[in-house]
Amino acid sequence: MKKAVITGIGIISPIGIGKDEYWHGLLQAKTGFRPISLFDTSALNVHYAGEISNFDPIPLLGKKGLRTFDRSTKLVSAAAKFSLDDAGLEITEDNTYSTGVSIGATFGSLRSIAEFDRQGLVEGPRYVNPSHFPNTVINSPASQISIRFKIKGFNTTISTGFCASLDAISYAVDFIRLGRADVVLAGGVEELCEETFFGFYKLGCLSGLDGTEPLCCPFDAKRNGTILSEGAAVLILEEENHARQRGSDIYATVAGCANSFDTKAEMDFSHKGIGLQQAINLALKEAFLAPEQIEYIASCANSTRGLDRLETSAIKDVFGTHAYDIPVSSIKSMIGETFSTSGALSLAAVTGCLQMGIISPTVNYEEKDPECDLDYVPNTARKRIIQNALILASDPYGHNTAMVVKRYGG
Amino acid sequence: MNKRVVITGLGVVSSLGIGWQEFWDNLLQGKSGISPVASIDTTNHFTHNGGEVTHFDPRQFIAEEKINQYNRSSQFAVAAAALAKKDARLSESMLPTGRIGICIGTTTGSIQAIERINDKRLSHQDIERNLASQLPPHTTPAAVAREIGASGPNCMISTACAAGNYAIGYGFDLIRFGRAELVFAGGADPFSRISFTGFNQFSAVAPEKCQPFDKNRKGMMVAEGSGILVLEILEHALQRNAQVYAEILGYGLSCDAQHMTQPSVQGVARCMINAMHETGITAEQVDYISAHGTGTQANDKTESAAIQMVFGERYKSIPVSSIKSMLGHTMGAASAIEAIACALVVKHDIIPPTINFDTSDPECDLDCVPNKARKQRTTIVMNNSYAFGGNNASLILKKFTG
Repeated sequence: MKKAVITGIGIISPIGIGKDEYWHGLLQAKTGFRPISLFDTSALNVHYAGEISNFDPIPLLGKKGLRTFDRSTKLVSAAAKFSLDDAGLEITEDNTYSTGVSIGATFGSLRSIAEFDRQGLVEGPRYVNPSHFPNTVINSPASQISIRFKIKGFNTTISTGFCASLDAISYAVDFIRLGRADVVLAGGVEELCEETFFGFYKLGCLSGLDGTEPLCCPFDAKRNGTILSEGAAVLILEEENHARQRGSDIYATVAGCANSFDTKAEMDFSHKGIGLQQAINLALKEAFLAPEQIEYIASCANSTRGLDRLETSAIKDVFGTHAYDIPVSSIKSMIGETFSTSGALSLAAVTGCLQMGIISPTVNYEEKDPECDLDYVPNTARKRIIQNALILASDPYGHNTAMVVKRYGG
Repeated sequence: MNKRVVITGLGVVSSLGIGWQEFWDNLLQGKSGISPVASIDTTNHFTHNGGEVTHFDPRQFIAEEKINQYNRSSQFAVAAAALAKKDARLSESMLPTGRIGICIGTTTGSIQAIERINDKRLSHQDIERNLASQLPPHTTPAAVAREIGASGPNCMISTACAAGNYAIGYGFDLIRFGRAELVFAGGADPFSRISFTGFNQFSAVAPEKCQPFDKNRKGMMVAEGSGILVLEILEHALQRNAQVYAEILGYGLSCDAQHMTQPSVQGVARCMINAMHETGITAEQVDYISAHGTGTQANDKTESAAIQMVFGERYKSIPVSSIKSMLGHTMGAASAIEAIACALVVKHDIIPPTINFDTSDPECDLDCVPNKARKQRTTIVMNNSYAFGGNNASLILKKFTG
């Protein structure tokens, strides 16, 4: 069967723009949280988020065509540009038909949809600006990547919340294995906006709801919620021989992916995590690996009580005593919860970890929780050569995704 | 990866019927499901008709205490999946739940939750937690999975008005990859004031009726509904002696990469070619095309030109009909509902018509099966769908012959 490898990475994140700044930020334990400037939070108790403050799309994308783009579309188009440049790929008439786009986005267009509706309500439906209507479809950010870079193979948007970008990357891997595409720009995007922030706020997921200073501290006993964040991550997934033939550097291989639904999830993480366990087992099977061969787990823990506990317990159920020997760290401690983007940011982080032989830490970790007792790589990065890593994502509505990544040539 | 996949159950929630039998009878009689819009106030809009599902009672499908947890899109999808499950005669113990997947497509997903939140914000009312919890689009496949008891792969594909075909296609892939043995695949969308306003502002909505391929066509009709199909690995279907509606041969995708809303002849032609290439079907073998056929000037002209480009001389002899003439455009559900119609076409050898057809258009001079259903033997059918963003998908079904 054909193999899907990673040959390019494009990142727009609160801790760094571009792959190198991002990797560097992770290893330096940099955090990306700041007071929200994009909208007014004065009526709420939480005022911090992982807002990207230094992002200017114009130098990267040029001025043309950006006027009607929403923030998500600008973020993901910039990440796509970085990923193509990083892979040394140019889309031409020869390769465009075998190149696709697969993006995870769930609330990426939420602000555009809500704004369009409000304009109709306030000014009347006949006074709504029609040029904003195309932004109200969830596949708008992904589609603009295809339009801008002339990518004609296929274009897909997947909206499975916390799992969305890992699912979009799995979709890309499947398409490469099926021979439908040689190259796929795959990843995710979410913009920080009032509507999404308010949703997370209302559902009680955010740290600092009681007026205390928000802290994102996955697995720590004090954790009381996550910090919402934004970002875009696009990776170039490529068929192995295609990458070799054009002499591209290969970062890593995506060796297995699986998605399982947990019917016990009722919008929370109070269940046993059978779905997550099933996803891990299936991904390992697809990668032809035994649990003992996993040397690092890129966690999806986001500093909420339930998710961090559930993930820890699922890891212990699958890996048994070996669970205590595997470093498990969460980049969300530095970046926050980027929702649909989180899986792609994890994959980009893991790729760096496989490349450099350094594991990124879980920062803000101070106080041990008896229910969360694994090796979370607390506070400082750790040198370690790794061959096989596992990436996890779990959503409160029941979706779970696991992905196995192998060091290339390893 | 060469596993054969068949369709063994159909579930429809539409303005022309809940359950495929009523829906199919109405299609064959050329009935229209268009009515004056009731769910939103259209006083200040340019048009006032739409394809709402007016006789849907969620209590027939969903436990009373759960109804308020599901947005309309989820209610439709849960109902359509329940109907499909019943139609497929799947008993609970038939398969381990981990081998059952859910793959749903949508354009607007939870848009009604956004609208209700806006209403409340503008009138300074409190927004309940329950409403906020309905915001994510993947609440729909989650609701279906919970109701069906499916713990296999679960996917929400949001490729706008082609999403149903994308979801059926990926459901088919999931089975071929061995990720599932049975997938409930399809699409769902609610009637939304955002869509109604947007398409009206695009001057894309017909004032009275949808007339695909007619010279005087005035646009599409905003509509709602859901279509869910049970896709099943052939061995399993045979083992349990299931009725088979049709076999899925495969699908093709393409992206125009040109414009968010203007369709491209090359883009949609490539999509049909990709579908035929992947399934090994030649242009001579296609017996029927279920058109995207929205009834807008741009779509129908583009689709006709693309069909001409792909099918050459056969262009005028292949029946090409659009059931959107009867249902309107059910957005992400459209191509799933149309796939259900396609499965029934090859099962029963009858082609539903394009209604409201009056005057032929030299730019759309294909055989649109005007106004009356036609008995005709059909073996291979193609189901076209196009979307905002230039995201195109064509699905190919075949009469099941064992």
